[in-house]
Amino acid sequence: MKQIQAGLLALSFALSPTAALADTPSAQTESAKTSDIVAKVNGMVCDFCARAVSKVFGKNEAVDMVYVDLDAGEIHVDLKPGQTLDDATVAKLIKKSGYDLVTIERAEA
Amino acid sequence: MLRNAVRTLCLILLGAGLFQSAHARPVSYPGGWTSMQQNNGNYSALHLHYSPTAYDSIGLYSERNWTQDWHFTGLQYNRLINRWNTPNSQANLYLKLGAGQADPFGAAEAELAGFLGVGADWETRRWFVSYEGRVYDTGFGQDARQSARIGLAPYIGDYGDLHTWLMLQIDHNPEVDTPVKLTPLVRLFYDVQLLEIGYTPEVEELLINWVIRF
Repeated sequence: MKQIQAGLLALSFALSPTAALADTPSAQTESAKTSDIVAKVNGMVCDFCARAVSKVFGKNEAVDMVYVDLDAGEIHVDLKPGQTLDDATVAKLIKKSGYDLVTIERAEA
Repeated sequence: MLRNAVRTLCLILLGAGLFQSAHARPVSYPGGWTSMQQNNGNYSALHLHYSPTAYDSIGLYSERNWTQDWHFTGLQYNRLINRWNTPNSQANLYLKLGAGQADPFGAAEAELAGFLGVGADWETRRWFVSYEGRVYDTGFGQDARQSARIGLAPYIGDYGDLHTWLMLQIDHNPEVDTPVKLTPLVRLFYDVQLLEIGYTPEVEELLINWVIRF
């Protein structure tokens, strides 16, 4: 019973403030599919782990928005106006996120 | 009485951090912080770590072992030995090393202590399997434990949904009164938070684990 009580108390400590801290202000998600870059990756099967994608891509100054499509195994990236992101950088960011790059498709200018 | 009070206080303090699961991945993305806590009938543990690379993490580890009545405090290093990515699955193999001090609370002097662990997992969007084994040398004794899990996702959620897993964990710890235990549990994760709640009927113990990535 003490464990249950302590667990519930711990829940109350942890819920709100930490959730607020956990948000990533620099990386947002979008629902649109017309992205500047669509990267197909291997290994992206877990939502919790795929949070790394938003964190890692969100730190890059060229990235405006990131959308993860678990069903398709794709990472959709929108760039800020006038910014570019070469394939090598995309591959590096995907590796840092924990996945393996398969293909990169880019929207036609 | 005093022991119960200390135990409750430790649980609260550990709970004020966040909950760890031994079956959650111990390495995050470069620059990522993770707080993990685990509570069950045998021990409560808090692990706060930082990942400088996508393959390493290092941080503080504190474990209050209830069954053997000692408290370990030290540093833990985690290494992603290998990762296998396929179109529909991911598998990982981890090494975990700990070094610090173990305090037996007056039964003997506090001693330098350490542990060595190995963790492995494989998952698809529907299935999950994992294993962790760990051996301790507390200076005044040794301890070994291992556990394994199988999990099934009752529905396939998309990115951003609340994800639910139904899991069964089997623990083997030869040093405790009930060396083999089965624990059904529910894993929930949403955004950067992962919560696990389980119950071990044969020993009437609650399991609560919580992981948050910053």
